[in-house]
Amino acid sequence: MTVVEFEALGMTQQVSMLYRHGVYIGKQKRLDQVMLLYQLDHFYVEVIYSRYRRYISRLRCTSSVSVLDPYLEQIDVEQLVG
Amino acid sequence: MTRVTSLQATYMTKPVSQKNIVLYADDDPDDLELVQDAFARYAKNVEVITARDGSQALSWLNRLSEEDPRPCLIILDINMPVLNGKEVLKRLRNMEQFGSVPVVLFTTSSMPLDDNFARKYSAGFVTKPLDVNQMQVITELFIDHCSDEIKKNIRKHIL
Repeated sequence: MTVVEFEALGMTQQVSMLYRHGVYIGKQKRLDQVMLLYQLDHFYVEVIYSRYRRYISRLRCTSSVSVLDPYLEQIDVEQLVG
Repeated sequence: MTRVTSLQATYMTKPVSQKNIVLYADDDPDDLELVQDAFARYAKNVEVITARDGSQALSWLNRLSEEDPRPCLIILDINMPVLNGKEVLKRLRNMEQFGSVPVVLFTTSSMPLDDNFARKYSAGFVTKPLDVNQMQVITELFIDHCSDEIKKNIRKHIL
């Protein structure tokens, strides 16, 4: 599936697709929003909640790896090497 | 944070009722609330006990006396501080009194590696929902892991 094909789906189908086939990458909180990042085939989908796991405000799709940055920053390297 | 008042969600106390006990360990307060709310419709028959990590869950289980009812289901997040869900599962399977209690690993992961781990230790594997609409189906999946008698009992009175 491509970004264009995914974006053409309705949100219910997108959520279902992500649940079944998405690979969870990480979670981040920014101001009053919580975001989960998934990889689906060769692109990424960020699920942006207005209320975590209750109300999805929107899904943001991108092929750019820069979307990973805020999630990677949260990884505690100390814990991995320690 | 909203709470379902009809549900007797207890935080790390001994069970006081004769309800079926579901022990749920997760470090994410939002997910704890989500599962508690999902079991609200079974509140007549189910008491959800929550723990903030795997170590707390094991401590609670170890404090149960011979007379105390055992949980009918243990739900474990995988990634938790102190003691993760996989380690708790491994330890449970080596404990005589809890070795056969149904366990479900409930995680954001959908990795086959985690799924296989759950199978290896005779546990269920359920991926956390993306939104609340999936929670009813997931709660039914949880209940499906209980024994036939418990399942019947839990589903007898749905609010």
